[in-house]
Amino acid sequence: MQRTQRRGIRNGVIGLLAALATFALPIAAFAESLPKVMLFTTGGTIQSKGAHRLKLAEYSDGKVTPKELTDDLPELKKIAQVEVREISNIGSGGMNTELLLKLVKGINESLAKSDVKGAVVTHGTGTLEETAYFLHLTVKSDKPVVVVGAMRPWTAISRDGPLNLVNAVRVASTPEAMNKGVMVLLNDTIHSARFVTKGNTTRVETFVSREVGPLGFADSDRIAFYRSPLTVHTAKSEFDVSKLTSLPQVDIVYGYQEASRAPVDALVEGGVKGIVFADSSPEYGKAIQAAQAKGVVIVQGDRKGSGRVLTSERTAGRGVISADSLNPQKARVLLRLALTKTTDARELQRIFNTY
Amino acid sequence: MNAILGRCLKSALVAVSLSGIASSTVVAQEIPSVLPPGVKLPRIVLMSMGGTIASKATDRMNINNYGGRGLRVDPQEWVDALPELAQVARVTTEDMRPPEPPEGATGTGGGTTFEQLYTVARRLQEIAKDPNIDGVVVTHGTNTLAETAWFMDLVVDIKKPVVFVGSQRPWTGISGDGPLNLYNAIRVAATPAAAGKGVLHTMNQNINPARDLMKTSAYRVETFKSNDLGTIGVADPDAVVFHTEPTRRHTYKSEFNIALLPPKLPEVEVLYAYTESPGYLVDALVEHGVKGIVIDGTGAGSPAGGQSEAIKRAQEKGVVVVATARTRGGRVQDTPRRSEAKIVPGDNLQPEKARMLLQLALTKTKDVKEITRIFNEY
Repeated sequence: MQRTQRRGIRNGVIGLLAALATFALPIAAFAESLPKVMLFTTGGTIQSKGAHRLKLAEYSDGKVTPKELTDDLPELKKIAQVEVREISNIGSGGMNTELLLKLVKGINESLAKSDVKGAVVTHGTGTLEETAYFLHLTVKSDKPVVVVGAMRPWTAISRDGPLNLVNAVRVASTPEAMNKGVMVLLNDTIHSARFVTKGNTTRVETFVSREVGPLGFADSDRIAFYRSPLTVHTAKSEFDVSKLTSLPQVDIVYGYQEASRAPVDALVEGGVKGIVFADSSPEYGKAIQAAQAKGVVIVQGDRKGSGRVLTSERTAGRGVISADSLNPQKARVLLRLALTKTTDARELQRIFNTY
Repeated sequence: MNAILGRCLKSALVAVSLSGIASSTVVAQEIPSVLPPGVKLPRIVLMSMGGTIASKATDRMNINNYGGRGLRVDPQEWVDALPELAQVARVTTEDMRPPEPPEGATGTGGGTTFEQLYTVARRLQEIAKDPNIDGVVVTHGTNTLAETAWFMDLVVDIKKPVVFVGSQRPWTGISGDGPLNLYNAIRVAATPAAAGKGVLHTMNQNINPARDLMKTSAYRVETFKSNDLGTIGVADPDAVVFHTEPTRRHTYKSEFNIALLPPKLPEVEVLYAYTESPGYLVDALVEHGVKGIVIDGTGAGSPAGGQSEAIKRAQEKGVVVVATARTRGGRVQDTPRRSEAKIVPGDNLQPEKARMLLQLALTKTKDVKEITRIFNEY
């Protein structure tokens, strides 16, 4: 009886000491030594609320503020000193050049500071890959930038947002993530912005790098990297948008059986500087020649979702640029940036071969 | 006109020089003398370890029963069948095949022995230092190709491209994949960007690194994938393109080297986990004297049935246990429970590859923490 009581007291004391040791004492000392990570929020499903937790697909019932995100995740305090900057709170369909330029300027300012170790960006998943690739080409730093989203709203049952955000901050504060350019993290998987695409409308494993595969994984025990991207990016990129307030207009034309040339003509009429073709149509041949005659740059992409558009003497002879393995929406991002430098077809092909 | 004439002349000369070569172990091929001045094609060694790609069948519709005595392709036959190689590289051949099987024997890939692995690794190590060789292509049967490639990746200190290749259909098969695979493998080996990326594999126009390479289909030509990851590049008609490079330690960054290995590696065997998988198989391996066991675990890498208790008995006798995941996707994590049980997490390696790494690790240490470090780094 006495022994049990004493053991009880002893356990209590040990428990108290342990609690002090694991929480009270280290946090103060710990917090300052933790890496500083900038969290840029732009919105998306990860910052959306549904009417109730079974609302997985309809969730325009309010926005989650940056403060709500971080308040909901006290665990972040053990990983990094997270500082928040709100860029917008919109769905990814509303992302535009003005916001993209604001975002990259904010990231470049932050990462230029020596105490900031990395950046995380929240984003809607629909056009996430476009923003990620834009940052991959325009961020001027070797430090990790991780774009994160969620497939289920912040209020949903079995929501994926919290773990995705925690993992994004973990990757952004990992030294091994340096020099790998902009990464996309959902579903524990780290993808390069160059190769990643949204491959499913609703599932949590939606982001895939077809053929190329992920760079690594954010598992509970550690961040495990297996690959490093070889295309040129971030600090080594030749694109500088720091003084720009707009980007050249480039649009995409889809190809299918008996597709009409009308969209091509309309775009040329509308003053577009470049057109990316997602596949082709017999109708397009003459329309392309007419567009080129007015100085419009043509990039040949593909609608299949994987594999390179090969370069050939024939297409080069027609002054058409091959999109390599970029999907049409990413080829558009690269072409807009490339057109800030040149309209020369050979030089543009070099750029598409490099990035 | 001139260019076409030149190309014809060159092909003719190559054909003449090839036909004059007797089939011996090492064949030197003369540099085509009509190459434009200043063009120096890379010098590539084409090494045969056999395989389906080195097999013939009795007729071309026979694509699943081939090889064996009298049905082997000599390395020189490949070169003769691919005059296009003269535009890509100066190719010499080396024959590292096991002796021809006895009468009536079939099969091609399953017979690779550690003796052969050592021989090939030593030769690759020599090639690494040979100033007259720029890259190597090794043919191999596809069944255990990934293991052989991984072994070389771990024990050969080389920066020059080493490219493994095979085929799913025999050299004589209808729509045989061998010729394009071989041509592309030599193109990759002749590509400067392929250097320093560890041992590579090229089939079906894809480039994968040895570490992640896995045969995923018994018969299809797209069989090889990078398990859990993806291709690092492609050999397309217009260009050899690399998208990514492996970040784990390999070849010139490896702490293991063929010159420093004992004549025989510590014995390590693999056991599969399943409902009621018995402990006595673990006991039998311990009894047999193995130094390590790889448990190809269920789910996230868990032993099943009687294995857990038997593993404790094995560990008491100094046997090191590594866990891989039979899911063939996803890492086995270093969880507190696993670390307490002194089980080394096998990362996302296939069990046959974890086995080889454990064999090599055991030549250095028996310490579980140190072996875990090795599994984290390779």
